[in-house]
Amino acid sequence: MGRYNPQAMTAPSDSLVEFTDLLRGFGRVPVLAGVSGQARTGQVLLVTGSNGSGKSTLLRCLAGLLRPQAGTIRLREDGRELDAVERRRRVGYVAPDLAFYEPLTAEENLTFFCRLRGVPARRAVELLATLGVPARRAAGALSSGMRQRLRWAWALLHQPRLLLLDEPFQNLDEAGEAAVRTLLDSHLEDGLAVIATPSPLLVPRLAATLDLSRHHAASDRPTAGRAGTA
Amino acid sequence: MSAPGSLPLPAPRAAAMAGGEVGTPVRRWLGEATAVFVKDWRTELRTRHALHTLLLFAVTTLITVSMALGPLGVSSGERLAVLPALLWIILLFAAAAGLPRGFVQEEETHTATALRLAATPSALFCGKTLYSASLLLALEALLVPLYVAVMQLPVVSLGLLFAALAAGGLGLAIGSTLLAAIVAQAQGRGALFPILAFPVLLPLLLLAVELTRGAVAGSVGEGVLANLLLYDGALAVSGLMLFPIVWNP
Repeated sequence: MGRYNPQAMTAPSDSLVEFTDLLRGFGRVPVLAGVSGQARTGQVLLVTGSNGSGKSTLLRCLAGLLRPQAGTIRLREDGRELDAVERRRRVGYVAPDLAFYEPLTAEENLTFFCRLRGVPARRAVELLATLGVPARRAAGALSSGMRQRLRWAWALLHQPRLLLLDEPFQNLDEAGEAAVRTLLDSHLEDGLAVIATPSPLLVPRLAATLDLSRHHAASDRPTAGRAGTA
Repeated sequence: MSAPGSLPLPAPRAAAMAGGEVGTPVRRWLGEATAVFVKDWRTELRTRHALHTLLLFAVTTLITVSMALGPLGVSSGERLAVLPALLWIILLFAAAAGLPRGFVQEEETHTATALRLAATPSALFCGKTLYSASLLLALEALLVPLYVAVMQLPVVSLGLLFAALAAGGLGLAIGSTLLAAIVAQAQGRGALFPILAFPVLLPLLLLAVELTRGAVAGSVGEGVLANLLLYDGALAVSGLMLFPIVWNP
């Protein structure tokens, strides 16, 4: 799958997301303590862990929605390193806390974001059709499964290299899951993904699994160790 | 639903060539600001939260003031001093009741996440400010003729009155938008807006009242309009510089 980024139009090349020794807490509660991992083009990094182990926090840090208190995050696209501001605008993000304007229809919502992202509005129509989301229905009237499909459509609008997926198959029925899995397969031809889920999941092109539960338990001990990819 | 993946996704090169929406940075920025403005109005026209709040507050206050003071309740000598100030107090409180909702609602309904990931902060600020300004100007267009008629406010210079309403309303919109963005990030939102608004909006309101007095008296002190416009400009520049810091983590 290609990208709208003009630099990406020349030839698909290697992309990389890499995070090292990430530290993030809320108040006095440490959530991430020395978490590291990486994924390259065509790979999936699976992040697992129990509730509260920091999966969503890690993804929010990678998306640029939270600033880690220590550690580094690198996103390289087509050989170019993106800064935090570019990273925030380039990633595709699916998460339960992602919401849309309820009085607007699904199509109006996506068309609005197309204009923000500089993407032709027909891209929104095509994605809604591919994912089977009723385009003329108000976002507030969509079922939870349809809202999840809308989140996927939103995340893929600008054809990002990096997809950050927090419980991406939540609330989806069989057809919905099949549709998004097809889009994920297509994305992974020249993109990469970090997927967070409470339990191990069957995903294509799995490169590594990062278990934050084990890491969290380790980080609670007085001498915190550094988590790595398994 | 179409078969998954059966619909060909557009080739990027073809999209860039045919779409025409992937323009220059300036065009994209303007497109983003316009999109935010249109989205806010479209959402508002379907829910009418801010419209109802602003209108109800303004009309209720106007009726209270007119019944308490009325055209005869204020002597002609005091009218010049009192009525312009009352008009701006009504506009300030209506704005404070309705305008800060925009950003707070984005945070409360979690739409802010998608906005943070997709919008250029400065374009977002401009779009939101334009929306607030247009809302406030629409309120002024409804309220001020009523106020002038009910309170029998003798306006000598319509030009000065329009200038006061336009420049004062714009400043109020810029200031409210920036403060609303700050307030939306904080806890204790209810108390924070008035506390922050006082020092930021006080100079603006004093100048707007002075200019409105000039519209009633027929002349205004030197530099009042220029100072008001300069203050608007300073607010706009501060907003453009501060907003990305306030908006992003």
